[in-house]
Amino acid sequence: MKLTHLYKVSAMALALGSTALLSGCASTGSGDTAMVAGKEYLLTSSRPNLLHVVDVETNQLLRSCKIPGIFGSNSIVSSPDGRIAYVLTNKWEDIYGFDITSCEKVFSAKQSYKNVQIKTIISLALSPDGEELYTVQNPVVKHADRFEVQQPRLAVFNTADGLDAKAKRFYPVDRRITKIGTMGNGEVILGGADLKAIDPQTGDIRLLKKLQNWQRPADKWVAPDAFAMQAQGEHVGEYILPYFTIKWNGAPGEMEKAEFWWGMNRIDLASGKLESNELVPFEFIFFNLVTDPNNPDIVYGAFNNLSKHSVGQQKTLATEDLDHTYYTINMTRDGSRLYVGGTSSDISIHDPETLKKVGSIQLPGDMSTADMRIARLRN
Amino acid sequence: MKHLKSFNKKAQLLDKAVTDGNTEDVVAMQTVVGCTSTNDPGWEVDPFGGLGSLCQPMESDLYGCADACWWPAQVPDTMSTHPGWSQDVAKANEDWRQIDSVFPDED
Repeated sequence: MKLTHLYKVSAMALALGSTALLSGCASTGSGDTAMVAGKEYLLTSSRPNLLHVVDVETNQLLRSCKIPGIFGSNSIVSSPDGRIAYVLTNKWEDIYGFDITSCEKVFSAKQSYKNVQIKTIISLALSPDGEELYTVQNPVVKHADRFEVQQPRLAVFNTADGLDAKAKRFYPVDRRITKIGTMGNGEVILGGADLKAIDPQTGDIRLLKKLQNWQRPADKWVAPDAFAMQAQGEHVGEYILPYFTIKWNGAPGEMEKAEFWWGMNRIDLASGKLESNELVPFEFIFFNLVTDPNNPDIVYGAFNNLSKHSVGQQKTLATEDLDHTYYTINMTRDGSRLYVGGTSSDISIHDPETLKKVGSIQLPGDMSTADMRIARLRN
Repeated sequence: MKHLKSFNKKAQLLDKAVTDGNTEDVVAMQTVVGCTSTNDPGWEVDPFGGLGSLCQPMESDLYGCADACWWPAQVPDTMSTHPGWSQDVAKANEDWRQIDSVFPDED
């Protein structure tokens, strides 16, 4: 135990050192860094539970806002005017909204209460007008002698309620929902075993696309496996979700004849139009995809390498090794830069044309599974 | 093993199995279970039977897997019982020596 104590003292000293360093290179809530309407800002989060605001013109870290509670896993969604960033934090339980121009805390909601533990697994979205905030809650009642699992539900908060907000409406939803998004008609996309959409005014749910329950013959195709974790797509107004599947050209399990495929579900948020098809042969892993705003036929993926793919040709066009594993990827609205982030404490910046690394942004801590979103500040 | 003495029945059985050559060899896993199945790089393989599609290095993936409870056995349960584990160690790849174990409370 003495050794443990020694480690903790050392860790605290390190944390204090990090804070001093941070104060030296970025403002932490002082609001002294000018931000301009019309410009884009990259938002992400890292240990020790900070929300970071990066200027994508200069690739400089402008400010880091202190988030209450414990880091994890810090999904982020931006208000339509780009001014407020909402963060799901404290081990998937609490939501905080910050004015990114000043780090002022303008919204908070603690979902767990009394002996009811409520975890929201990634799911965080805003209505198109920014007035309502949505989470998928997974409640568990912690009795003295047992845990009682409750029905998952969509929770609807009014963002105008400000600090200590309470959910105003609840609607039952499926289990296993992670990545959600909001369409132009107000429906909330529920990324789970299948893709569904819920009307947050009535609770009506409709099927968008069967995934785990797709109707392809089981002796020809393996049901798709989707990694629906980090959110992106705001630079082109879409919800994008890669999946993995196997096509059996021989008997199921006959690997020598099998084809391994990446697939992609892509929903245009304005029209609701959904594309779903195999994308490219599975030759390496990517965790997330992002669409080129200048050419929807081109998508980029990231994990151990950065990759560029043609949707129409079902072909990988180029790859570039990355310095280490990264989980997520995003892109500016003009398509001039790719940002690769998550996992460690650096964001890698790349030229979409060549995929070559053109820069890096250092953060004071690891991003882990945090989102990396693009916000455009408006008046 | 000559410096170790089997203490209970299970240890005696294991001792006998080793002596008789009846223990199975330890081999690398042939399937991926999450990003990595143990908090010990080198014990797992990727979908292609290699290492290239595993998270690299392990320290880049440590918090990503621990925070989301992907490694419920290899690291403390940060979702329920030890939410503060590693919170004061900002960079796993630089500060991994300071990532601590957890122990039962003394009281």
